[in-house]
Amino acid sequence: MSAVSHDRPLLAVSAAGVATSIRDGGRTAMAHLGRGRGGAVDLAALHLANRLVGNPADAPAFETSGGLVLRAERAVMVAVAGSQVDLEVSAGPPLGWGVPTAVPAGAVVRVGRLRGGMRVYLAVRGGVQAATGTLVDGAWSAEVPADGEPSVVAAVPRPLDRPVRLWPGPRLDRFAPGTWDVLTTSRWVVGADSDRVGVRLTGPALRVVARGELPSEGLIEGAVQVPPDGRPIVMLADHPVTGGYPVVAVVDRADLDVIAQAPPGQTIELVAAR
Amino acid sequence: MRILPYGPGAVLAEYDDLDTVLAVAHRLRSLALPGVTDVVPALRTVLVVFDGADRSAVEAVLADTRTEPLPPGPLVTVPVHYDGVDLVEVAERTGRTAAEVVALHSSVEYRVAFCGFMPGFAYLLGLPVDLHLPRRSTPRTRVPAGSVAVAADFSAVYPSASPGGWHLLGRTDLELWDEQRPVPALLAPGMRVRFEPR
Repeated sequence: MSAVSHDRPLLAVSAAGVATSIRDGGRTAMAHLGRGRGGAVDLAALHLANRLVGNPADAPAFETSGGLVLRAERAVMVAVAGSQVDLEVSAGPPLGWGVPTAVPAGAVVRVGRLRGGMRVYLAVRGGVQAATGTLVDGAWSAEVPADGEPSVVAAVPRPLDRPVRLWPGPRLDRFAPGTWDVLTTSRWVVGADSDRVGVRLTGPALRVVARGELPSEGLIEGAVQVPPDGRPIVMLADHPVTGGYPVVAVVDRADLDVIAQAPPGQTIELVAAR
Repeated sequence: MRILPYGPGAVLAEYDDLDTVLAVAHRLRSLALPGVTDVVPALRTVLVVFDGADRSAVEAVLADTRTEPLPPGPLVTVPVHYDGVDLVEVAERTGRTAAEVVALHSSVEYRVAFCGFMPGFAYLLGLPVDLHLPRRSTPRTRVPAGSVAVAADFSAVYPSASPGGWHLLGRTDLELWDEQRPVPALLAPGMRVRFEPR
C-alpha cells in the first residue's frame, strides 16, 4: 500500500450511496488506551474482496450498503464480497460477486441493491485511499501495482441465515437461573436501532439477579452485553472498549459475519457452541 | 483472583484491587506472548484478547498475583483554565467557593486507572471525597475537547468533543490523543497526573 499517489486518480466517486466509507481491517492493541478495532464490520468479507484482487487482507476498501457509483478514470481491477448485491458495469466483462473483474477506463460501476445482507465490500487492486477524506463526489484514488497478477482464491458465499454459535460470558452467573437456556432456545429478532457499535436483539428480557453494580470492564467484538432493559446487544467493530453492563455470552468469532450482516427484522438463531 | 470465561478468543481475570490489575496487565504486556492482541486493564479486571495464543500460558500469567506492584508511573502535569460551566454549581453543591473547588481539585495526585469511552479518555482515581458528585441527570449533547471534568470518584479530560454527563470544571490545551504521535494517547494506565491552575 505504499506510494499511493493522488495526482492521477484511478476512481472518481459519482455517488457515495448509503453508509459508504473506506475501511481497512482496523487496529488491535490500542483497547487499553480507549481505541477499539474500528475498521470493516464484516472482516471476512473485507479479507475476501482484498484477496481476490491480490491486496493484503486488511487493505482499505469501500464498505457500503448500496448506491455507490464509481467511474474508472483508468483501467482497474475490482472485486466485491459481503452481502449478495445487484452489480452493474457499463463496459467490459460483467461484474459478479466474489470474482476479480477488470474494469476498463471510462466504465461506470454501480453497486445496487443488497440482497439479504447489510454491507458490501468493494476492493480495488492496490487499495483505496481517500484523497479528501470526505464522502462527497471527488477524487478518491488508489494505485494499481505495475506488475504481477492478482492471486485468485475460491469464493463461496456462506449463508447468512445460519445459526450463530454462542459461548458463556464472564457474567452469566449474575443472571437469573435458566438464562443460558433462554438465550439458546428463544427467537431473537434484530432491532432497527442496530449500528456499527452493536446489533440489538429483541426477545424475552434477560434478568440480572446479582446485587450491586459492576465496575466497567473490557469488551470484545461478539460480547453480548445486557443493559438494564434486558435486551441483549452484540458488540461490533465500533463498540466501546470498556463497559459496565454485564456480558452474558460471547458470539463465536467465526459467526460474527452473520451478526454484521443481519438486517433489522431478521431472526437470529443462537445455539450453544461446543 | 478469578478467571472468567469469555469465549475461545479471550479471557477475563478479576482481582481485589487496582494495584494487582495494573501489575498483571503490565507483566502480560511486557511478556508479549505470541498471539495476544490486546491486554485491557479496567478497575478490577484484566481482559486478554488473543488469536492463536496458548490459553494456558495466558491464564498462568493472569493467575500469578504475587507480581510486585509497579513503581509509580510517569507524572504528567495538565495545565487547566478553571473556567468550566459547572464550576459554580459544583461549588454550591459541595458547600464551597469556586476557588476552594479549584484548590481541592488541583491539590492531589491522580492515577490513571483505565481508559475507555473514547480514544485517549483516561479514568483518573484520587479525586478528593468532598468533590464526589453523581453524573449530571441529563448529559450534555456536546462537551468540548480538552474539558476537565469530574463525576463520582473520577476525574478525566475529554480528548475530543463528545456527548457527556460529567461536571465541567475547566479546560486544557493539551492534546490528549494525537494520531501522529508514536503512542497517540497522552495518558495510559498507571500514569500519574496533576492539574495545575493557569
